Amino acid sequence: MLETNTWIQQYFDEATDAVLIFKEDDLVVSNQIAQDLEQELHLDPTYLVQVADASVKQKFSATDNCFNCAIRNSMQEISIPITLAKDMPHPLKYFMIYHVINADEHVFSLTLKNRGTIERMDQLAQQRQLNQYVNRAHEEERKKISADLHDSIAQGVYSAIMGVRRINEDDNDEAAIHELTQVIETQLNDTLAEVKGMALDIRPSVLDSFGLLPALRVLAKRLQENSGVTITVSGNASTEGLATDVQNVLYRIGQESINNALKHAAANEINLLLVAHNHFIILEIIDDGKGFDLSQHQGFNGHSLGLLNMNERVKALNGAFEIKSQAGAGTTVTAKFPVSFA
Amino acid sequence: MTLEEIDRQQDYQTLVDRIYRQDDFDFVGVALQAPTAPHAIKWLFVAGNQSEQFRKIVLRSGIGIAGLVVRTGKPFWKNELQQYTFSDEMYTPIAKIEALQSAAAIPLTSSRFHLVTGVLLVGYRSAQPVSDDTVSRLTQYLQAF
Repeated sequence: MLETNTWIQQYFDEATDAVLIFKEDDLVVSNQIAQDLEQELHLDPTYLVQVADASVKQKFSATDNCFNCAIRNSMQEISIPITLAKDMPHPLKYFMIYHVINADEHVFSLTLKNRGTIERMDQLAQQRQLNQYVNRAHEEERKKISADLHDSIAQGVYSAIMGVRRINEDDNDEAAIHELTQVIETQLNDTLAEVKGMALDIRPSVLDSFGLLPALRVLAKRLQENSGVTITVSGNASTEGLATDVQNVLYRIGQESINNALKHAAANEINLLLVAHNHFIILEIIDDGKGFDLSQHQGFNGHSLGLLNMNERVKALNGAFEIKSQAGAGTTVTAKFPVSFA
Repeated sequence: MTLEEIDRQQDYQTLVDRIYRQDDFDFVGVALQAPTAPHAIKWLFVAGNQSEQFRKIVLRSGIGIAGLVVRTGKPFWKNELQQYTFSDEMYTPIAKIEALQSAAAIPLTSSRFHLVTGVLLVGYRSAQPVSDDTVSRLTQYLQAF
């Protein structure tokens, strides 16, 4: 028991959060870091008590301004954001957690947690979640490619093989052979078209050889054929001097936005606009679909790469990314990058 | 294209018109595979269409109702079509742009090897369901044709 007490004492002293325990508004005990803070920042513990007092009062303003009554109101914990060392070059942002230890004897603790650390942890957690998501997205992509290969390419080749076998059967006359070869040719042609389509989905070679605008046109044409939705691409941008990274991101944003509009917006018309100015280039994707409430799609929702990913990719290249949408009023996605066409 | 094929094509318009007149379908269409590479399948003959948008669709084998009929060579029908979005396998472009709630389709085949060369599709914009009965009605129209 004695040993455990030592451990607890040690933990208390070495804890990274500053802990101060008060009885009847007088400081009874505090740990090492609290004492350090006290000394270095000339922090007065009673100031902290006053802050806590004020905030408790605020919360229970219905009561007759009595601190102890508030405690008796069975309040367990209250956290207050507080900034210490305000007059120094680097103010320290903390959370102060007020915790009642013993209400009858008016014993309570104040814990100071560094907000910077908490924010950093939040960032880290989100980053991990994102990483996990990207991995999962990669896996999904592979699954899709594999399924496509198996379902359409392999099937096409297989039926061509069956056709060739049939040619070799004995009871064929000239005309039958002629028709069969045509059939096989058709099948192989279809398969070829599938392969080309898949290649386009995965990575458009047009983008490398002809630039962004033609690539977007090809994409729009293909998606228009598949969906029946009118998709137009207009613009003046010559993208020769544009960095490959920027072109890639703009292409993916176009792709993702069209797909989103087709999937979720039930749009009848989608317009892409790519315009280059002297110092920047803008891609806009405008649809006439049903729109959505942006606030509900902010941040990372765990399964949709969509908005967050687009935003991240644009930010990574110093661009600006914006979505304007309203329920019933369509959606406009804008990506803008600074460029120099010197 | 030979004269015979052109004749046949005009006949398809006649067939489509006849079905549209005699039956209660809201939309009737025939999609045919192009005789030359890359053998794209497009909607060529329609009746009851609400826009010219259908001309922009290029059917892909295996996708949607018509695509499944092309791939499998078997009739197919489906109700409650508007619940499917673009990422679903059952998403049917013609149903989307013609606002069809239900559709049934049968394959059009070449005489010799029974190869699928196209699709005959009918659909309703109302909640009226389609079934194997719709398919057999379509088959009768095609046989009489």
